[in-house]
Amino acid sequence: MRRVAVTGLGAVSPFGLGVKALWEGLRTGTSAIRAATLIETAGFRSRLAAEVPDRLPGSSRRSRADRLALAAAREALADATVGGEARAQAALIVGAVGGGMLEAEAWYWPGRRGGAPRHAALRAMLPSSHADVLGRALGLGGPRETLVTACSSGAAAIAVAADLVADGVVPVALAGGVDAMTRICYLGFNALKLLDPEPCRPFDRDRRGMSIGEGAAFLVLEDAERARGRGALVYAELAGHGMTTDAYHVTSPRPGGEGMARAMRQALARAGLAPSEVAYVNAHGTGTPQNDRIEAIALRSVFGEGGVLVSSTKSMIGHTMAAAGSLEAVATILAVVHDMVPPTATLRVPDPEVPFDCVPGVAREAPVAAALSNSFGFGGQNVTLAFRKPA
Amino acid sequence: MTARVLITGVGIVGPDITGGRSSLEAFLDAPAVPSPGLVDDAALGGLVDEGERRRLSRVSRLAVAAARLALRDAGIETGDDLGLVVGTEFGDLHSTRAFADGFLDGGPGGLSALLFPGTVMNTMAAATTIAVGAHQLSLTLNAPTIAGELAVIRAAAAIAGGRVDAVVAGGVDERDAYRESILADLGATGRRGEGATFLVLEREERVRDRGGRPLGEIRGAASGALAARPHGVGRSPVSRAVAFALARSGVAPADVAAVYRSASGDLARDDWERRVVEAAVGSRPSVALAARLGGHAAVGALAVAAAAWTATTGRLPSPWGGDGGRVPAHGGPVLVHGLARGGGQAALVVAATTTGVR
Repeated sequence: MRRVAVTGLGAVSPFGLGVKALWEGLRTGTSAIRAATLIETAGFRSRLAAEVPDRLPGSSRRSRADRLALAAAREALADATVGGEARAQAALIVGAVGGGMLEAEAWYWPGRRGGAPRHAALRAMLPSSHADVLGRALGLGGPRETLVTACSSGAAAIAVAADLVADGVVPVALAGGVDAMTRICYLGFNALKLLDPEPCRPFDRDRRGMSIGEGAAFLVLEDAERARGRGALVYAELAGHGMTTDAYHVTSPRPGGEGMARAMRQALARAGLAPSEVAYVNAHGTGTPQNDRIEAIALRSVFGEGGVLVSSTKSMIGHTMAAAGSLEAVATILAVVHDMVPPTATLRVPDPEVPFDCVPGVAREAPVAAALSNSFGFGGQNVTLAFRKPA
Repeated sequence: MTARVLITGVGIVGPDITGGRSSLEAFLDAPAVPSPGLVDDAALGGLVDEGERRRLSRVSRLAVAAARLALRDAGIETGDDLGLVVGTEFGDLHSTRAFADGFLDGGPGGLSALLFPGTVMNTMAAATTIAVGAHQLSLTLNAPTIAGELAVIRAAAAIAGGRVDAVVAGGVDERDAYRESILADLGATGRRGEGATFLVLEREERVRDRGGRPLGEIRGAASGALAARPHGVGRSPVSRAVAFALARSGVAPADVAAVYRSASGDLARDDWERRVVEAAVGSRPSVALAARLGGHAAVGALAVAAAAWTATTGRLPSPWGGDGGRVPAHGGPVLVHGLARGGGQAALVVAATTTGVR
């Protein structure tokens, strides 16, 4: 097994283009959850969203999600200085859910009401479209896969890419997740009554649900020996991951949090880390009453009460769906790099059922030698990534 | 690969077949040429229970039924230590459209919380892990044409890498007239089909310990990408993935006895694949199951099971419009190859079991 180094980061978040904008927003505890503009929200429980505010680079003929992904992927490859020869062998693993659904909806909605059909909008509808667009534009010729594991898709993509590097299949991999806002997603979480009318408040006693967001983030993962050999800057080591399934319910997590806990324990075991060596967990922390309560049960079973700092960056950037696992991986890596834990910015009244310091309000300086990032999805799909400072 | 990966079960739900390995062998040996059609829902009787029939979408029921058949074929009853990898090209688009229509017809009050999970492509995996109690990794892979092959490759890699001992892996898709009319308008060609096929893959030691009966072995596998525009076909026939899969399996190109290709009647893509395969292993007897069954994610997994049969028996289902010819009677390693528009590529080397556990 080869060690896996993170040598490049790229992000497009509700704070705008670039990793720098993401970290600045997280570090300062700023909320990027605002009135939604990309979809119609009249008459719904929540009218908020964490949308990417910037004008996106690239042709407007591409789907919004493709452009989000391209911008983040280009930043990551440039950051890691991955050249043409390495790109020709590099794996590309993309986590995606909505694909080009935003544009497909823009065709289907009026079409159903008698408007003129524009079938071309459907070409990029399926989640797998992103990988073909990125592969072509960026010259990536290695293994190419699109993973759909609901809200853990971005983290699952990073985990699978890490396996390809660890097993020696490829020396370099580009992996991450992307999702643009879609009506289907917004309508669905409304139907499930899982949206907070106010900006979401993960781990708060009075939390009422989540806020939907969008974005993309990609990591360059690299054989650590290769990275050392070429003198690459290494942000962190992706020391291990865990992937488990609840096999319990299509939308609800198993009440005891066993599947979540198994994912965390698997990641720790593969990383060779004891729970006491982990300073910080970037929680899935959606802000729904059920998720946060059950995640807290799982965290307590792994770390003991108060045994680790926990925060949810969704308090600032919302739940970015398939991008969440990868944007939060970037946040977790930067916590390790800067020895600074991003806050749960909107946490005001602690929930007694969450017996952890959830870093309310503002970021906190703390030594972070190792950290976990949790991502859980519909279908009981649990993924935990373990990062630590490079050797 | 480090740990050896054996195929110990197969479950197939298709228009002309519902069953395990004996059904597969009869299907492959049958003189009649199957044609793409629809799965008769009555064939799922006994494979999905009443609650599942009521609760699950049709494509999820196909997946659940095929996974149960595969586990039954493998002689495995409980699935606690199982993983699941599902390949799909279109997921549950039928539920996605029904969910949107609910809103367009009835406004917020027309939204169905029950349909919403079906808008995410992992919905078949979610239903299947619950049905068979699989608690290890669960992944859904979305890809045009080669999703089934990719699912088997990902599962085999997880076992070979020591991350899980046993995985149910395969593909599922259903036909949809509305979607197919749009694809036709977009210029898509090639036959379409539907069904679900799952394999049970296990680490060799586990098979030996429990006395399992393998159909064959996945000796090497790799995915890759050839240069092509999105939705387009490329020019280069040079393939890194086939070379990688052969190298991992220790099989020389000249020793490949036969090839299962992904050709489905999309002439430009089929021709590109033919050139890629010939450049990699030369001219070999070959079969394209999707050319008759119609392209869908289950075909890739079906091709892997059929390749194990070919490697073991030396027979090809030649009446199916393959390139003709017979594999030498002693059998031999078989290449399963897939190539999609956009450049996604899959290659697996499947061999008869030689580990003494058969």
